[in-house]
Amino acid sequence: MVRHVAFVLALWKTNLLSAMEYRVSFLTQMAGMMLNNAIYFVFWIIFFARFEEVNGWDLVDMLFLFGVVATGFGVGTYLFGNAVRLSFLIASGQMDYYLSLPRPVLLHALASRSNASSAGDCAYGLLSFGAAVFFAGAFDILMLLRFGLGCLAAVTVLISFLVLVQSLTFWIGNTNLLTSNAFNAIVTFSLYPITLFDGTAKLLLFTLIPAAFIGALPAEFVRRFDLAQLAQICAGSAVFLFLATFVFYRGLRRYESGSAFQVRT
Amino acid sequence: MPAVSVRDLRKTFQLKQKAAGLRGSLRALWRPSFQELDAVRGISFDMDEGELLGFIGPNGAGKSTTIKILTGILHPSSGEAEVLGRVPWRQRQELAFQIGSVFGQRPQLWYHLPAVDTFYLFGKIYELDDRELKGRIAFLAEAFEIEELLETPVRKLSLGQRMRCEVAASLLHRPRVLLLDEPSIGLDVVAKQRLRMTIQRMNDLEGVGVLLTSHDAGDIEALCRRVIIINNGEIVFRDKVSALKRRYLTVKTVDVRYNEQLPPDFTLPGVEMVKVGRYGAKMRFDTRVTPVEPVIGGLAAAGSLADVTVSEPSLEEVIGAIYGQAESKDG
Repeated sequence: MVRHVAFVLALWKTNLLSAMEYRVSFLTQMAGMMLNNAIYFVFWIIFFARFEEVNGWDLVDMLFLFGVVATGFGVGTYLFGNAVRLSFLIASGQMDYYLSLPRPVLLHALASRSNASSAGDCAYGLLSFGAAVFFAGAFDILMLLRFGLGCLAAVTVLISFLVLVQSLTFWIGNTNLLTSNAFNAIVTFSLYPITLFDGTAKLLLFTLIPAAFIGALPAEFVRRFDLAQLAQICAGSAVFLFLATFVFYRGLRRYESGSAFQVRT
Repeated sequence: MPAVSVRDLRKTFQLKQKAAGLRGSLRALWRPSFQELDAVRGISFDMDEGELLGFIGPNGAGKSTTIKILTGILHPSSGEAEVLGRVPWRQRQELAFQIGSVFGQRPQLWYHLPAVDTFYLFGKIYELDDRELKGRIAFLAEAFEIEELLETPVRKLSLGQRMRCEVAASLLHRPRVLLLDEPSIGLDVVAKQRLRMTIQRMNDLEGVGVLLTSHDAGDIEALCRRVIIINNGEIVFRDKVSALKRRYLTVKTVDVRYNEQLPPDFTLPGVEMVKVGRYGAKMRFDTRVTPVEPVIGGLAAAGSLADVTVSEPSLEEVIGAIYGQAESKDG
């Protein structure tokens, strides 16, 4: 385990070195993403200026939600940047590189790239969490721990979901459109109060598009401790992580490589 | 025990077929059809520890597929293979600590970073301690003459410089076997020669065995004692490079120049005259039909010789002839 941690830290360091080769581009993308998130949140500010709450959720809940979701997305897609291009790597035969080195293929592939714009998501998420704490007027160290755990769950479920969807490439070939739709769906649904949904829609948000594990559930858990929610978060993360790993390695047996010229960035 | 042992290895790919145009696309959507492609068709061979073995063939012959099976990248459809006593597709990670691989079309160096950064990353991947890694980098930098290149971003290196850095990276963990798939692809003559020299040097210094695929026969001629030629997924020749030459280099070409004029109808028995000029001629003969001695004797008897050059076909031509034979058998 320790040797895998040292290896992943070395990968992240190399990603950082690579990003620093283009500092201006890195900072521009980061600032752009923060602005993008802020503009999106303005709509909720306008909404809550008119309606005090929606099915029990107020503006502070939304700040907690954006805090967890943006930090989770940011950390997830920064540290595991290839999670959004796994399908391309599989379809274009670029898994060869990871298969020829003595490390777990999935972990190696995911952690071999960082998205600069994700750092903007991450910074925005932390600011949103800070604002939520400020307006809630309640903060203790346990809340910070709950925030850390909530973000970890969001990262785990998000990355697992993306791996799961893109592992279908091993069976059905190109899944670029499916991946793009799945990514948009999980982002969109994770940024709404869960109380807006019930019945089948709610079930879907815990299963087929597990946005609830990335947004509402950890956000509620961060605001106030609930043992049942903690159990749900842990179970959801474990199930999706297991499924993603299982399906990916099953698919990997069908991997057919390729002969295109490649470049490692 | 051989370093690499392959028995009746087969790999079949399923290729989706589609007729041209929109109609073909719609039909493929409704009723997809697949064709099976036998990339590797029951090949068997061994490679000894420390051996430099050439594995050559034209594009699509099955060389890269075989190498990918031996590194654990691909699962074979059937057959057996062991590299250093391990089954590659079952013991991939264990094996990767013992072997190195370089694919000419798939760089492992990070494009935007200096090669030394990738070397340090590889140090972590292969679990080398920092002191050992530094010493190893210094040693390889000297052996490959890349000291001046290590801190230059890879994107700014020439292809030849980059390829030397690639091969050096693959040797950081002291592999016992190196699998090189088309390492000289796209290199100019000078860069090819430098790369060959460094591979030979590492074989001499550390006894690393090299399985080298290339469709440049010059790589094989310069480096390997033994060669396997593969075509359409099957082995069509396996022996020493010298045997390959002996068996196939039977056609000699002779360029001759005289101090005096030649008769316009100048001929020699058993020799095909390619071109006859006023003071010289170019001719070709097969040593299995016409021995060398009477030809040379005939040339000397024809007049006062100014110059004679006897040349053999290049290895490329020989291999071309072997592919041709194999294909005409298939046809």
